[in-house]
Formats: sequence, C-alpha cells, structure tokens
Amino acid sequence: MRKWRYDSPNDVERTPLERLRQFPREPDMLVYGLRSLGALIIRALLRVYHRFEIIGHENLRTNRSFVIVANHCSHLDTLCLLAALPLRKLHRAFPAAASDYFFQSVSRLWIAAVVVNALPFARQVRVRQSLSLCQDMLGNPGTILIIFPEGTRSTTGEIREFKSGIGALVAGRDVAVVPCFIDGSFRAWPKGRRLPRPGKVRLIVGSPRTFRDRGADKIDICAISAELREAVNELRHENGSH
Amino acid sequence: MSPQIALHDPIFRAYFFIVLISLAAGGAVLSFLRVALKKETASMFRTYWSWLVIAGVGLLVVFAGRIPTIVGVTLLGIYAFKEFARASGLYRDWWLTGAVYAGIVTVGIASVMSHPRGEEPGTGWYGFFAAAPVFAIALILLIPILRNRARGELQRMSLAIVGFIYIGWMFGHLGFLANAVNAYGFLCYIIFATALSDVSAFTFGKIFGRHPLRSEISPNKTWEGALGALAISMILPWLLRFSFPFFGARQLILTGLIVGIGGQLGDLSISVIKRDIGTKDMAATIPGHGGILDRIDSLIYAAPLFMHMAGYYYPLR
Repeated sequence: MRKWRYDSPNDVERTPLERLRQFPREPDMLVYGLRSLGALIIRALLRVYHRFEIIGHENLRTNRSFVIVANHCSHLDTLCLLAALPLRKLHRAFPAAASDYFFQSVSRLWIAAVVVNALPFARQVRVRQSLSLCQDMLGNPGTILIIFPEGTRSTTGEIREFKSGIGALVAGRDVAVVPCFIDGSFRAWPKGRRLPRPGKVRLIVGSPRTFRDRGADKIDICAISAELREAVNELRHENGSH
Repeated sequence: MSPQIALHDPIFRAYFFIVLISLAAGGAVLSFLRVALKKETASMFRTYWSWLVIAGVGLLVVFAGRIPTIVGVTLLGIYAFKEFARASGLYRDWWLTGAVYAGIVTVGIASVMSHPRGEEPGTGWYGFFAAAPVFAIALILLIPILRNRARGELQRMSLAIVGFIYIGWMFGHLGFLANAVNAYGFLCYIIFATALSDVSAFTFGKIFGRHPLRSEISPNKTWEGALGALAISMILPWLLRFSFPFFGARQLILTGLIVGIGGQLGDLSISVIKRDIGTKDMAATIPGHGGILDRIDSLIYAAPLFMHMAGYYYPLR
C-alpha cells in the first residue's frame, strides 16, 4: 500500500494569534465562511446606511491580477472597495494595511485577518520587503491588491501626495492598475470618529492602465505615482464631487 | 437543566465546590514545588492557568442549561474537527469538510430536538442521533460521485469519516447526556473524572515513570502513569457515588474501567493520528495543552462508552 501523504499547512503548531499574524495565511472553510458572511453584512449596511453606489463597475471585470489604487480618508474606503468585488474573488483580494496599526491589538488583528483579509504592510520600516511581498502576491493569478498610496488616512478629505512605492510596484510590469475615487467617506466616517454616521458614499472606478513600458528608475517611479494621483483626482472632478 | 435548577441541584453544587477545591489543591501543590522545592514549574503553571479557564467555562456552560451544553459540545466538536482537518490536510477539500461540519451540526440538532411524533421520552431524538453516521457517511460517499473524481478520494473520504464518527458523533454523546434525567451527575462526573485521570496519569508518570507504555506511539507515556490513573479512576466512582446514587457495584466498577482505560485509549488513539501525520500537537489553541482535540481526546473515547453503559442498566431519560 502506498503511503498516505498528509498535506498539512505549515502553521499547525502555531497559536491562534500567531496564525492571525502570519502572511500568506492558510485559511480553512470556517474562515472563508465567516469572511463571506461578514462581506454580505457589510454590503447590506453600506447599501442601507450609506446608500452606496458604484460607478464604472465594468472596469473591475477581469480574471487577471490587478492593483486597485484609491484615495484614503476613512476605514469605509477598504470596505467600499471590497464591496465592489464579486464574493468569489473576495478571498483573493488583499487590502494592504499598516502593520503598525492593524496587526497589533487582538481585535483589530482579527478583523484585519479574518474579515478584511489584509496584507500586513510595514510602512515605516522594511517598506522594500513589504513591496516585494506585494509583488509575490501579484504573481499568483487572480490576485487583487488594494493599495492606498497616500500611506495613511487624509485628515482633510483632500488627496495627499502618493508615495513612490506604488510606482515601484507597477513600473515595467504587466499588471493592470485601476484608479478609484471614493466620494463621501470622509464626511461619513473621518479619522478620529468612533462610528460612522449615515451619508451617501460613492465609488467611482476608473479605466485600468499598465505601466509595462516604463523604466524602474527613480524619476519614472515618481512620475507614475504622480500620474496615478492625477487619475484619481480626475475621477473626482469628472463625477462632480460635492 | 437550567440555571434555576442548577442553583438548587445538590449534585451540581457539590461539583462546583469539588472543582474549586481540586483547582486550589493543584495550585497549592504547584506553588509548593516552585517555592519550597525550587523546581522548574513554568510549563506546568501554563497548563494550570489553562485548566482554570477550562474549568470556569465548563462549569458556566453546564450551569447555563441543556441547550447551551449541547451547543457548547457541538462547537467544541466543530473546532476539534477543524484542527484534525488542518493537521491531516483534509481542510483543503471544502466539500468533504463541509459535509462533516453539516454532520456535526446535525448531531447537535438531534440532541436538542425531541422525537417529532413524541415516541421517545423526554428531550433529544435518540433514534436520529444514533442513525446520524448512516446519513453522514452516505453524504460523504456521495461527494466524490457528484464531483466526478476518484484520485485520492479514498484517503479524503476515510479522513472525513474518521473525523465525523470519532470527533463529531462520538464526542457528540457528551452533548446528548444533557438529556438524561441525571444529567448533572453524569456530565459533571464524566468530565471531572477524565480530567482527573489525565492529570493523575501525568503526575504518576512524572514521579514513578520508568517503562514506556507504547514507545512507537507516545514516547512520554509510561505504564506507571497509566496504572496510577487507572487506580485513581477505580476509586473515584465510590468517592463520588452521590453523582449516581442508583449505581450498584457492577456499574461503579464499569465506570471506573471506562474512565481509567477508555480515557487513556482515547489519548493514545489521538497520539496514533498525530504520530502518523508527524505533528506533536493537533494545534496550539490552549497554552500548555495543545489543541482543543488534545484536551478532549480522553473524553471522546470515554463519554460514549459511559453513556451506553449507563443507558444499558437504567433508562437514560
């Protein structure tokens, strides 16, 4: 009789907390179930509480790996972008989340790992390592990375400078980048407020683009970041932000 | 079972104090070892703190009543199966793990509901509970056919069936015991006695252990520990006879054997699985104990045997 091969994950003897911290994760059905259930509840709440609306939904329809970049001024932003994806792609979508903020306290860690499926991004130290982690993830087909290139939530609602990391991630690579603008999340749930208040939130999805034929030197990288910021800003003006 | 009844039930109240005293005694012994004899006790204290949490949660759930007890046992079974599925790699197959989860939930539902036509006394639908493996295995065997797959399916089906029968259904008997007329006595005794048997096996093994019990399966278990645990388990039914005042000498001896031998067989059977998979613990959920499955392993083996022994001599409900 041939020997059975047990295909166990590498984290069997890790504590639950260590398992939440590790990335990539090895989730099982219960985690997928909880995440899908959470996503349904979040979608329903967004619809009812924030009259959530998506413009340009067709720009997200692809089975290839791609990166979503968006402005960031609220925790709602991640939830809105996740709500725009089909449920079956949810488990392959990774919002990059600051590891110094989301991967410390247990409750935030649980939400980040189970509900949001966040990718821990070390924004202060080891940025290069985090970027190469992002690149590895994009190598798997069907991966969706959600990145807020401003690096933190804006406290004024204005779009801040995009960090150069996003440029380095996509320069010279055949990866589609989808710029998005989220309108209304700043009014609904600004930084520092405990809970969101009702208010309309819209997600405007721009058309995808690639930076395949761009070099990876410093000037190009910064130019790409600036272009992407411009693209997000355009979406804002085209769709009559108020 | 309900909080009001538990509050006035002499058996539950007695166990509340027995557990409290045992934990205090354990803590005192460990502190003595640490302070007076300057022994290295850090790992034992980690295990001990976890025991405090387990005892608290366990007492609270039994106190809360019949349905919380069955729900608690079902959730524990689900989590224990999840650990088994992860360790054995079965978790990659969503269909089969899903079928087993559905089976475990069905066992819980059969324990909660009553016979639809009222043909059984009291609560719990024993006929369906006992027949659950038929339906679960039928479902598990159906899945490869539905998916039109054969390669490697025998291994996955076998793992799913072992997972359901052993971790889901056999452990589910503990929940069904909550339907017994003497639920407090049966539940409190079997949980307390298997825990004590585990602790005494460890203690006797630590003090007197020389001869390995099953060297190929679990290198740290010894004959001395096993016999010590058996001795304690044989005495305990007499000491705690108030848990089942209607038991005669034969039932008390059988109870002792089921806990003393069955509990350790449960422990060893999980060790066989772990040894073959090549992992030390099923998970690291409980500090100092390993996974949930490592904690409940002796209960999985002993609880159904105890229920059927008691049910053979006296009507359960």
